Amino acid sequence: MLNLSSFVQKAQQLLDPTQGLNLSDPDRNPSKASLFQSQFRLPSSQHPLYEITAELTIPPANATQGDKDHDRGFRYAGKLHISESYLCFSTTGSSFLQSASTTTSSIFTGQTHGGGPSGNGFTLPLCAIRRVERLHSQNFQFALAITTWNGIGQDDKAKDGSKDRKEQRITLQLAGPRVTCERFCDGLKKGLRAAVGNVGKLKKVISECYSEYLLRPEDKKNAAPPDAGLGMMFRYPGDPKKLRDRAKMRLWAEYLRDNGRNMTLLRQPTFHKLIRVGLPNRLRGEMWELTSGSMYLRLENPTLYADTLTKFSGQESLAIDEIEKDLNRSLPEYPGFQSEEGIGRLRRVLTAYSWVNPDVGYCQAMNIVVAALLIYMSEAQAFFLLSALCDRLVPGYYSTTMYGTLLDQKVFESLVERTMPILWEHLVRSDVQLSVVSLPWFLSLYINSMPLVFAFRVLDVFFVEGPKVLFQVGLAILRINGEELLDATDDGAFISVLKSYFVRLDESAHPKSENPKLRAVTRFQELMVVAFKEFSGITHSSITELRLKNKDSVLNNIENFAKRTAIRNLGPDSKLLSTEELGALYDRFYGVLYERQQRDLIIKQERARRAKSSRSRIPDMASSHDQAVEKGRVGLGPSTSLMDYDAFREFLASMSKWAISDSPATPRRETFPEADRGFYGSLNKRPDAMLSPWGAGPEPADHEFLRRLFVKWDVSSSAALTLQNVVSGLARIKGKRDIMGTINYFFELHDDDGDGKVDREGILRMSEALLFLSRRGLEGTLSPTNSTLTLSTMGDGSQNDVSGQTINERFLGSVSAFIRRCFEYADPDHPNNQPAATQKTTTGADTSDDQLASPDAFAIGDDDDDEDDLLAMDSPPGSPKAAKKAEPSSQHAPSIGRTSLSTATSTDPKDRRRVSKAHSERANIALDPSNPLHITLPTFRMVVLADELLEQFFESSFPASFHITEGLNSTSATSSSSLTTFSSLGLGAGRAVGAALGGAPGAPAGGRGLRGVLDNIVTDGMRVAQEVVRRMEEAQKELERNAVPGQRNDEDEEEDEDDAVAPGAGKNAAYLGDAERRSVRNSDRDLLSGADAEASDVTAGASVPGRASVGSEGSSGGISGGGAGKVVGVEFEG
Amino acid sequence: MADSAGAPRPSSSVKLVLLGEAAVGKSSLVLRFVNNDFQENKEPTIGAAFLTQKCNLPQRTIKFEIWDTAGQERFASLAPMYYRNAQAALVVYDLTKPTSLVKAKHWVAELQRQASPGIVIALVGNKLDLTSDNAGTTGEGEPGGGDGDARKVSTEEAKIYAEEEGLLFFETSAKTGYNVTEVFTAIANAIPETSLKSARGPGAAGATSRTEEQRVNLNGPRDPNAKEGCAC
Ligand SMILES: Nc1nc2c(ncn2[C@@H]2O[C@H](COP(=O)(O)OP(=O)(O)OP(=O)(O)O)[C@@H](O)[C@H]2O)c(=O)[nH]1
Ligand SMILES: [Mg+2]
Repeated sequence: MLNLSSFVQKAQQLLDPTQGLNLSDPDRNPSKASLFQSQFRLPSSQHPLYEITAELTIPPANATQGDKDHDRGFRYAGKLHISESYLCFSTTGSSFLQSASTTTSSIFTGQTHGGGPSGNGFTLPLCAIRRVERLHSQNFQFALAITTWNGIGQDDKAKDGSKDRKEQRITLQLAGPRVTCERFCDGLKKGLRAAVGNVGKLKKVISECYSEYLLRPEDKKNAAPPDAGLGMMFRYPGDPKKLRDRAKMRLWAEYLRDNGRNMTLLRQPTFHKLIRVGLPNRLRGEMWELTSGSMYLRLENPTLYADTLTKFSGQESLAIDEIEKDLNRSLPEYPGFQSEEGIGRLRRVLTAYSWVNPDVGYCQAMNIVVAALLIYMSEAQAFFLLSALCDRLVPGYYSTTMYGTLLDQKVFESLVERTMPILWEHLVRSDVQLSVVSLPWFLSLYINSMPLVFAFRVLDVFFVEGPKVLFQVGLAILRINGEELLDATDDGAFISVLKSYFVRLDESAHPKSENPKLRAVTRFQELMVVAFKEFSGITHSSITELRLKNKDSVLNNIENFAKRTAIRNLGPDSKLLSTEELGALYDRFYGVLYERQQRDLIIKQERARRAKSSRSRIPDMASSHDQAVEKGRVGLGPSTSLMDYDAFREFLASMSKWAISDSPATPRRETFPEADRGFYGSLNKRPDAMLSPWGAGPEPADHEFLRRLFVKWDVSSSAALTLQNVVSGLARIKGKRDIMGTINYFFELHDDDGDGKVDREGILRMSEALLFLSRRGLEGTLSPTNSTLTLSTMGDGSQNDVSGQTINERFLGSVSAFIRRCFEYADPDHPNNQPAATQKTTTGADTSDDQLASPDAFAIGDDDDDEDDLLAMDSPPGSPKAAKKAEPSSQHAPSIGRTSLSTATSTDPKDRRRVSKAHSERANIALDPSNPLHITLPTFRMVVLADELLEQFFESSFPASFHITEGLNSTSATSSSSLTTFSSLGLGAGRAVGAALGGAPGAPAGGRGLRGVLDNIVTDGMRVAQEVVRRMEEAQKELERNAVPGQRNDEDEEEDEDDAVAPGAGKNAAYLGDAERRSVRNSDRDLLSGADAEASDVTAGASVPGRASVGSEGSSGGISGGGAGKVVGVEFEG
Repeated sequence: MADSAGAPRPSSSVKLVLLGEAAVGKSSLVLRFVNNDFQENKEPTIGAAFLTQKCNLPQRTIKFEIWDTAGQERFASLAPMYYRNAQAALVVYDLTKPTSLVKAKHWVAELQRQASPGIVIALVGNKLDLTSDNAGTTGEGEPGGGDGDARKVSTEEAKIYAEEEGLLFFETSAKTGYNVTEVFTAIANAIPETSLKSARGPGAAGATSRTEEQRVNLNGPRDPNAKEGCAC
């Protein structure tokens, strides 16, 4: 971990912060690698391994122009680079500081700033190099003569190099210290060796290049030409004469003959000029492929397109549906797309791309762009070019949020404001929204806005020079029409000015000029001149800078919109939660997904770096740059909106204490500040936090309960949750504030087969889950033995602890009583043994009748609490009338409820004893694993409601334990003070005693002991009741060791009665702690013996000790408290 | 009302936005309304398209500035840019595609919360010609079980929803032109006079003077007089 964070720091220092290519953060500091890749249009697998100053000499025969020096040919000074599989040279790539050596250079600005291969030079795949010779030269220490495989695809027979083919041979003279040169040559040698295997791929790729056919001698042109697009079948758009297509073709043929074709092409000034005048139809596709670099993508994996189609053939997707809708609507005026042939190609390319890049899938406008490409290139070529477009040339344009499109609109607006302030002011004043006009220009690369012939001319330049071209052309359009636009005062007028401009692009720009040359200049030519001359200042880096500036606001807008929409569409369940809760859930959900992806990426990068550094000595710090680094941010188009189990754990741990692991495998920070609402921004500022597998947050627990919750929420069984799933799941727990609902839910959670029965295993799992959920203390509204009261009565702060602890200890008792009761009231799986009443299972929330019918029901019948009960204290014991009033009223009337409960419990033990005696006999059998049994939902409800604390748990504590809006951060302060955890519980008894004796509330070892034991119980998946018992007893012993011996009192019953009758005074507190302690032990025993009929006499008296102090409050306190105490005594007495 | 008979009608512009799932026929409706034309293979709208068309009502002329938006889901985040300041919205679904009505409901909700208050929204089920109760004959009626009935959204269902939300409701066919003009006329009639103050058109100044009379007219948006109104 240390290594990792220092790595990140170092990387940040090394990267030049002023350069930026794309949007994501590594782009803010674009690595050398990404600049290198952009400049030479290389795939992301390529990294600049070695570079050296060099002079390129192209022999005279190859030369087409320039300062002719017949002896020595043409020379270009520049930088030579070598990557894993490419040798690249560029005159504008004076990218390294003069003094920089290969190993220390850290700044790679590249004159084109990644804009593209605008300089002279070449991008040679190493597999296209046939031979490298070292020449002896006086001027330079090193000179290399490179012979390429130029024309390898041309003649099948002539491997020996037949006479009519001239080898392409260039020389490179390296400049630099000897060591550097030698190292470079070594690198080249290594690369060449590795590249030998790729010659086959190379042949395959170039066999689809039209240039190979073009340069074939006439007599060998027997074979059919490679596919150069639908245009070969349906004619190319525009009048070839007017376009001077033949002349262009001749010029290109000459250039290619002299300078190599496709993979072996050398860029000289003529190359760029030829592109500016417009590409000839049949070469257009290939040149687009080459200048955009998509040809190198094809070289990497020549069969990817066909393979993808095969692999996914017959499969369906949303993208395919969307594609189908648009197939007939893509350049419908072009004849090729009125035919099945054209439609079929379009369908296949779009579909294949949607499979390889499911994050993008299909976006309207892609159909138009691909349709345009298909006029000039084959399907496979179009497929790779589409990749190059989406990944590099116009990143984010077609993503699901289209952030790239929106961002570039903002950039365009600021460029207009900067370059044409008067027009901009006019637009603002007349409330014309520029992007409304310009967005389609960018999104469909002008294909939809201008007549096709002109749009293709723009594309010719765009593929060489990159996205800045879109901006330059857009600005030029506005500049040229500036006068008229200033007269337009609304969107309509504005748009119509531009519309009429576009249809007249082929007209003369200066129709009235005297000068025939000027008259001949078309409006389109004028546009190009204005775009590239007047706006030559618009560079890749100025655009990058503006993108960075506007990125956050654009993403925020998108995210707000997405959030609003998502929340609104969450379905009916979401109505159960408040808007704030939904908003917070949305943030948490996507926040977790985002953070996790960030962490994954960094960890992956680190791994890659380690792997790399073991192989090579080049410290290429950020070489593993990945465009996807900000994946997961909603605004960028959530790459996933699905939450897997681990993410779910992390999600829960951000809002529920119980979901935090007790024994983190990785060291936990002392404080775990939760990511605030703006996670996205804050994250990057603490990269170290992201290197822990759980980020800055606590390590989440991994407990069966979490897994059950996950499975339950995962309604589509897809092993992943959508936001919708999460919202629905939480709505059922938290939304209704209905205790019956929550109890039912908990039951369903453990009813694996949904048959309304939970078996022995399930019962144990439920109790285990209860322990798990409560181990950090209970939240919500609990019995009022809490601070205010005790404070006022005791006047001693330490009593807070006491009452708090007792709740938790009581809960422990409740859970063990729960287990026992479950077994006691469980139905055997033998039908003849089943009591009639529990045979049927009812799932409704209000099933009091069922309850009444059951003889067990009385035990909880008295459990309900409201004021009526209080008044009717003399009502028949066990009165079942109030059995199932699932009202939250108990929340605000706890003391009343308690009183009535106590009254009831104290009055009906006789009944109870009688019934439960019978039951406990059965319970004995119940513990026998060979005796299958189960409980039904009504039984479960009964058992829960029989225990006040359990009831409160389901009513309030469990739902309240999900801190959706405030998270754990804000509650952590309160949770540590007012809520007790098992750690404090463990030392509870000891401390209570200690406090009573005036000792310091220290942390006796016993605390840790009990806590540890409980943790174990919870985590190791206790399966058998005896196991619980055994461990609890251990815990008890631990406690006893810590307790002050003098406080022990074995006469439980009397003692408890005393407690209750005589509340108040410090002594009471001590007793309480003591009683609590005993209750744990006794419940253990109780469980242990299981069959001990007398002990289980009273079944409903759990969670008593805390009641004493409450009892003191009510008028009937003394009595009821006493009763309660008695119950405890009876119940737990061994 | 009578005094305006001879004088040129005051004219005001209304910004109207079309929203709805992809390929439900938004652009086709606009094309029908603006050019009285229909194209079998209309290109998908990229971003948005802008068109204008006048609609003559008895007392005034409404110049619609129509923003036709792209329907694909991912373009949704661009929508706020287009419905900003819109006074009217046409939310279109394809009555042969139930999902498109779901999407339409989302749009209605979005507009009700985010667009200008008082925006007039019309819910439009398009492609009525594909149903058996089609094209201008019966208008609305029992979804007949006849052959070739591609209807998947019943008139009832959409109508009830529209009533609940207080939307105008129409079933149309851009292909045959059935009910298309009526939609726009009804919207023109439903625009409150007060919201026309900001009209940009040259005749906008006079628009505010007849507030009272217009109010009366408002109550009967489907007033037969209004029907013949649109000049297109
Ligand atoms: N039968 C029939 N087809 C129609 C009707 N309206 C539109 N269409 C066809 O449906 C397809 C989509 O129409 P568009 O008008 O482009 O749909 P849109 O809603 O503008 O689509 P996007 O711009 O992608 O959002 C086209 O092929 C139209 O010819 C109609 O009333 N009846
Ligand atoms: Mg459209």
